[in-house]
Amino acid sequence: MKVFVLIMLLMTGGLLAYGVKDFPGWSNPNAPASTHVSPRYIQAAYTKTHTPNIVTAVLADYRGYDTLGETVVIFTAGMGVILMLRKKRRNKGKDNV
Amino acid sequence: MFEYIVSKFNYWAYICLMMIGLYAMIVKGNLVKKLIGMNIFQVSIILFYVSVGAKSGGATVPILTAEDIHHAHAHVLANPLQYMNPLPHVLMLTAIVVGIATTGVALAIIIMIYNRYKTLEEDEILVIRKESGV
Repeated sequence: MKVFVLIMLLMTGGLLAYGVKDFPGWSNPNAPASTHVSPRYIQAAYTKTHTPNIVTAVLADYRGYDTLGETVVIFTAGMGVILMLRKKRRNKGKDNV
Repeated sequence: MFEYIVSKFNYWAYICLMMIGLYAMIVKGNLVKKLIGMNIFQVSIILFYVSVGAKSGGATVPILTAEDIHHAHAHVLANPLQYMNPLPHVLMLTAIVVGIATTGVALAIIIMIYNRYKTLEEDEILVIRKESGV
């Protein structure tokens, strides 16, 4: 089992490393990720949102609804944790009875 | 050749991390170790995205300098080469938050499993379930 998994992981890792061949080099300023959309955000973020921190501007202004959904995720996770751990305590009380 | 290795080294490091996490998730029998493997996997992807945002040549964190804010008031655009790519940072902020949420729920589920079976080893749980006829 372990050997089989190791072989499979080596093959997967090798495939990924083969795909890396076509990636732009690390911290290349002309990489596609840094040349298409992001200059627009860097240039327009301050005039549109008046926030010097561009990450904050994108998180809270451009993607405000996404962040709202994220808080729903956090709320759901917190409620799940609270409900699961509270149920345990109630069962303990019933066991004593 | 050395240049090539330096420019791709980060990707290889993240692939190694990712495979370590995947190995732990598949092979380890302890549920907490599986969860740690999942977290290693997540961190490798987060590191990959953050490294995509890096720019060489004196780029700083994507917070506008006072000088550029002054320029923006005069409608002079900032130079994109001076700041790192902010978008991967934003996306990974979201990914970290979701990762914390999943880790919390998983730990709560693990606590419930431990309370019920008094063990976290997967094979022992399967034996107990078979004996109790579930």
